[in-house]
Amino acid sequence: MALQQNTASQRDVSGVVPRKPLGRTGIQVSAMGLGGYHLGSAETDREANEIVAKAIDHGINFFDNAWEYHDGLSEERLGKALKGKRDQVVVMTKVCTHGREKKTAMRMLEESLRRLQTDHLDIWQIHEVVYENDPELIFAQNGAAEALLAAQQQGKVRFIGFTGHKDPEIHLKMLSHNFPFDTIQMPLNCCDATFRSFETQVLPEANRRGIAALGMKSLGGSGELVKFGALTAEEGLRYAMSLPVATTISGIDSMQVLDQNLRVAVEFQPFDASQMQRLREQCRLSAADGHLELFKMTSKYDGKVGREQHHFPTVEQLPL
Amino acid sequence: MPQSPSATIPLRKFGRADAEVSALGFGGHHLGEAPDEKTAVEMVHRAIDGGITFFDNCWEYRRGKTEIWMGAGLKGRRDKVFLMTKTCPHGRDAELALSMLDESLRRLQTDHLDLWQVHGMAFDNDPELFIRPHGAAEALEKAKKDGKVRFVGFTGHHSAKVHLNMLQTGFPFDAVQMPLNAFDANFKSFEKQVLPELNKRGIATLGMKPLNGHGEAIKNGVVTAEEALRYAMSLPVATTITGMDSLEVLHQNLQIAQNFKPFEESEMQELRDRCKQDAADGRYELYKLSLKFDNPEARLAHDFPLDTQQSEVKDMLGAQQNTGHPFPEKQF
Repeated sequence: MALQQNTASQRDVSGVVPRKPLGRTGIQVSAMGLGGYHLGSAETDREANEIVAKAIDHGINFFDNAWEYHDGLSEERLGKALKGKRDQVVVMTKVCTHGREKKTAMRMLEESLRRLQTDHLDIWQIHEVVYENDPELIFAQNGAAEALLAAQQQGKVRFIGFTGHKDPEIHLKMLSHNFPFDTIQMPLNCCDATFRSFETQVLPEANRRGIAALGMKSLGGSGELVKFGALTAEEGLRYAMSLPVATTISGIDSMQVLDQNLRVAVEFQPFDASQMQRLREQCRLSAADGHLELFKMTSKYDGKVGREQHHFPTVEQLPL
Repeated sequence: MPQSPSATIPLRKFGRADAEVSALGFGGHHLGEAPDEKTAVEMVHRAIDGGITFFDNCWEYRRGKTEIWMGAGLKGRRDKVFLMTKTCPHGRDAELALSMLDESLRRLQTDHLDLWQVHGMAFDNDPELFIRPHGAAEALEKAKKDGKVRFVGFTGHHSAKVHLNMLQTGFPFDAVQMPLNAFDANFKSFEKQVLPELNKRGIATLGMKPLNGHGEAIKNGVVTAEEALRYAMSLPVATTITGMDSLEVLHQNLQIAQNFKPFEESEMQELRDRCKQDAADGRYELYKLSLKFDNPEARLAHDFPLDTQQSEVKDMLGAQQNTGHPFPEKQF
């Protein structure tokens, strides 16, 4: 989201975003990653191109996406923008089987590769593991977990993982299968620290296993933490980036937001433990009902394809 | 509707305490949906005649109407029942909770309650607010010491974690109330996470929402009312509280309870499996999920933002009668 209160927003950005190891994979990724969903929300293809180019110029090498974002537009835009630069970056996209079988996953992989104009992905993750029966469906015979391994064996993807925004218990259920995940994506922000917390329940477990943690929703998904006055955008981003994660994926849909986020990222200094604790305390009371993290609470952030595949009514049909 | 005079509902032990309650409990909230006070009084009489001894209520239901109607129905029959109501401080001080108790006793026309519970533990900071100095925990202790209540407990429908954190406070609860149904068994489950813990500690479990709150799964044909009630009653609980808003519903529930035979474990599992797919996104248990199902009085007391488009919020802000002070002074 745009950060109106930042008085320095007119100043151009200089410097590069620091890098961190991606778990035990041996590769390095930028401490801030570019979220793929918002690339599809940028007004024009041209602006999307410029966002990617400038992000790369400032050291961002982690690019997030998903097969279902904007019906493929996000992947197509990223593919075009990365032309000639593919080898400078780490490309991640997600497969959206939502409980369907391996063969569907493999078809989506081919489609993603075509849209992204590449012959391989650096990371391929199972998207939106958010329903109570998802782990069971994913690890069923002929399920999505088998697709991850097959794609890896075929050399089409280097590393594998999963993502979800709903419930730490579901993430832990996924981990309990001891599957060789390389990455795990989750919401990490200052309110999460005290409310149904991925930070306290999942992050230590990921680190213990050497699985790279990818943070998302650093400002509540749509900037709720800032809009409701829990903290500033800079504090929110710095909080998320100060956690033991490989990268913090941030949605950027305009050059203005890119500049603002780059400024935080290139000048990034981690908060110390007492500063982190002070921010948690500051957010604790407003975090306690979940209105700042609606992705955990309501179906507002649940994808359409996922609900269809589970035979759930659409979000519009629900009294949420 | 003829009723056999010998019809009874099984009695069960109330946790580790020296008391027994009927396996089916009479929910207070829906009593306010009865067409008028006369019908409500008749429902209470028939329920007692049919073997129900456990009566549920709450200080804030219908701005006091359900306590008043139940009080009228229990006149002359108070000693035949096990009467529970709830206090609604929602994180505020013990003193407020105790003033609500006096009001509840007056409305219910009695000098004591069998069980007094703290209503609606929902938010992550509720346990901490409950146990703090001057918090509601002190009110429960005092009311018990003063002989105004025999037993104390808490309720909530939102989160098994919050229930477990309430138990972690170390407060000596006699009873705990929570949603129990075949959907719950598959989704953020109180049955799996809280129920065994209560039984281990000898705390009486009061099941609620056996029909998922408003019978959604029955309307959609996933389970029948009888299956749903029998499922909840077959769990290791002291009672299953269900709402009744008419003599017809009361009669139907009495029949099920009077003829109650617990399901076998294999039948329980069949029902859980049948509900599993529909349970997985939580839409049949929105009370665990959506902010819109939060009690607006509780949100107000916690300083959480209110959605003024929500009907319960409109009702609360526009209430002219039984305004349930001390809420409402807050201006929007």
